Amino acid sequence: MLKVNDIQKSFDRFVAVKRANLEVSQGEIVAVIGPNGAGKSTLFKIISGHLKPDKGTISFRGKDITSMAPHQICRHGLSLSYQIVNIFNRQTVFENVQISVLSRIGKAFDFFTPSRNVAVPETDEILASVGLLGVRDRICGSLSHGEQKVLEIAIALGSKPELLILDEPTAGMSPEETFATISLLEKLNKEGLTILFCEHDIELVFSFANRIMVMQQGISIIQGPPAEVRENREVREAYIGGSD
Amino acid sequence: MDWLSTLTAGGLVQQFIVGLSRSTILFIVSSGLSLVLGVLRIPNVAHGSLYMLGAFLCFSIASLFDNSSMGFWIGLALAPFCVAFVSLVAERTLFSRLYDREHLMLLLFTFALMLLCRDAVKIIWGSEYRSLAPPVALQGSFSVFGMLLPKYNLFLLGLGPFVAVGLWFLTQKTKIGKIARAAAVDRDMVGAVGINVSWVFAFVFVIGCFLAGLGGALVAPTQNINQGMDHTLIMEAFLIVIIGGLGNVWGALLGALIFGLTDSMGILVWPQFSIVFPYAVVVIVLIFRPTGLLKSTW
Amino acid sequence: MGLSRASSKLVSLSFLFIGLLALSVAPLFLPRFFIYLTALVLLTGLLATSLNLALGFGGMYQFNHSVFYGLGAYGLSLMLIKTSLPPLLGYIVGPVISAIMALIMGIICVRLSKLYFGMLQLSLGSLVWVVIYRWYSFTGGDDGLHGVPIPQLFSSVTGSYYFTLVVTFFCMVILYFIVHSPFGRILQAIRDNPERSASVGIRVRLQQLIALVIAGFFAGVAGGLFVTVEGSAFPDLLSWTLSLELIIMCLLGGWFTFFGPMLGAAIIVCLRALVGGYTEFWTLALAIILMLLIYFLPEGALGFFERIWHGKASASGEVK
Repeated sequence: MLKVNDIQKSFDRFVAVKRANLEVSQGEIVAVIGPNGAGKSTLFKIISGHLKPDKGTISFRGKDITSMAPHQICRHGLSLSYQIVNIFNRQTVFENVQISVLSRIGKAFDFFTPSRNVAVPETDEILASVGLLGVRDRICGSLSHGEQKVLEIAIALGSKPELLILDEPTAGMSPEETFATISLLEKLNKEGLTILFCEHDIELVFSFANRIMVMQQGISIIQGPPAEVRENREVREAYIGGSD
Repeated sequence: MDWLSTLTAGGLVQQFIVGLSRSTILFIVSSGLSLVLGVLRIPNVAHGSLYMLGAFLCFSIASLFDNSSMGFWIGLALAPFCVAFVSLVAERTLFSRLYDREHLMLLLFTFALMLLCRDAVKIIWGSEYRSLAPPVALQGSFSVFGMLLPKYNLFLLGLGPFVAVGLWFLTQKTKIGKIARAAAVDRDMVGAVGINVSWVFAFVFVIGCFLAGLGGALVAPTQNINQGMDHTLIMEAFLIVIIGGLGNVWGALLGALIFGLTDSMGILVWPQFSIVFPYAVVVIVLIFRPTGLLKSTW
Repeated sequence: MGLSRASSKLVSLSFLFIGLLALSVAPLFLPRFFIYLTALVLLTGLLATSLNLALGFGGMYQFNHSVFYGLGAYGLSLMLIKTSLPPLLGYIVGPVISAIMALIMGIICVRLSKLYFGMLQLSLGSLVWVVIYRWYSFTGGDDGLHGVPIPQLFSSVTGSYYFTLVVTFFCMVILYFIVHSPFGRILQAIRDNPERSASVGIRVRLQQLIALVIAGFFAGVAGGLFVTVEGSAFPDLLSWTLSLELIIMCLLGGWFTFFGPMLGAAIIVCLRALVGGYTEFWTLALAIILMLLIYFLPEGALGFFERIWHGKASASGEVK
């Protein structure tokens, strides 16, 4: 489904991603792990089109998306949920998700329908599926951090992606919130959503992902099922070396 | 192409000199604006008012001395300092609380100051046009190869490089200049190493306003001193700063040269539309280099 | 929630109705000067509202909005003076010229953001201003165009008042719908977070460009109304000081409210007419109001009261 080929990206003289390869197939849950500064977030931003790679190609369902703008990539069915909460602060929870739905169903240039009557069932359905229907009319700046992270995912779901990319979906969450989020993602995956995410909590990754890619210093060093990755000597060294 | 036939080498050089001296004034004023914009991030619309204030103050001080040559020199020396003092008071009482506001608010705030200055000038000096004679030594013109070169313009030309070098020295060689440049890039960092950023900002602001006052005092003998003089100048100064690159003092020099010269050369080509040329050049530059010709500090 | 929304809607609708009623019978009671002043308030309010579409709802630093106002005014005046085309056509031609100019300037400007956007627009606008200011043979230069032959129907004070009232009302309705449409919602989303907007599939630049064109068009309409009321057009209509005054109107009334700019326009236009009648230092009053506003009410008057009434939590009062 998604194929990342030899991506390289540097900022000034600092090389953030040196050589990244990644493959995600339909219906999988793929995790990218690696120490801080391994280039995970950069890689995700390149895939979603917010950064342009210096070298390499990315294809999604057979189409080359390397040089596409973020909005085009989104329209191809690939949606990014951010690590740092990145929502429309001034709007309500409902409006946040509605924005994304409006854009998907091509209502961006509808000038005369009152927007509170547009795409209501679709939006409410997404809110219900992530469990935010109760705070539907709150200004989202006033939500708790955990709720905002879930809203992040809901916004990404608003564009009905086939592949959802999550940058540290549970960062800063309490254990209960983390558990709820992971069950939500598992449910979405069962409904057919392919998920690519990166995460700090290694135990969580090994219990949740179908396949894992390990990045170190901008290079993807291994990719495979959890058991295989756990046995890999290089990974152990990377992690032991990277954590102290 | 009838303008070609009336064009002479002498006329060309003469216009060139006029353009260069105009550029000098523009450079002095807009480098101050650029400094304030680059370091403090304040798009100071009131900069033109300070320029006007400089001109009026120079006029008044000179008239205290019966408009003698000495009076002009004293006015030229004192007026910028008076303007600097006014700006120091304004900075300490009004601006220093607003630094964390965003640009639009700062812009509107300085617009309010501009309106305030305009009425203050109206109250103090009235609505009549004033004029000030240049000192005797700088009246009249030199005649070189049959060309008449006004002495005062040559004086301005000579002064320009001093200001440029002075600014260069101040920003590149002095300690406070280095701190100011660092603060322009990352003000929290400079604050974190224990420097009182607030006073650095005040200093830069005052220097910038001093330059506006100096420009005003210098321009006083060359034109009518009136209430509208802030209005066109601030627009020109902003355009110069924009095409030069926000906050870049050398950009201001380059922009001032482009602006002043296209203006004065345009008169030879199409007198009625001469004022359109510099604006058109600015637009052309910005279409191709929307962030200015030289590197901006932000 | 549903009930309170419905009842608050009823309250605002009845307010609107009473206001409209008052405005439509006003000429029967008011002296001529006040009829003229009310017309000026209405058209300036429309102008400020159109600016707010770009500034408050679009988050774009539209620093030279008056250019579109002036172009609309000049477009209409020139057509009425120089051609024998049906006069009503001029009320379309003017705004269309403004919209085209907004498109051209927009294409150049939307590449940039915030202050750079504003600066670039300021310089493009000043080019338009200087051309009109100097083109004596066509635009009358700094004298402007006077004695524009307004169609008989709206040439009287009352006639121009009713015309202004009707046109402003319809334009305000259209703008209200636009702000509250999906287009408007997405525009506000871009204002709040352009990066995120792009990543949910929104074409940020295109959306902004269209908002600019709409804003320019309605500014042009306001320009046409000004000519109708005043009978003349002059270069000051395009000046950047007027643009900044318009921004102050939006700030005064509140960026994030629909009717705020109209309120701000009313305050400033009346202030100028009333205070300006007694003293030539009316700008002093404006300057002091503006300073107090920036210090104490960055959300504007209407925004402030709205927050108190609704107890709405808002992240910050300033356009981010």
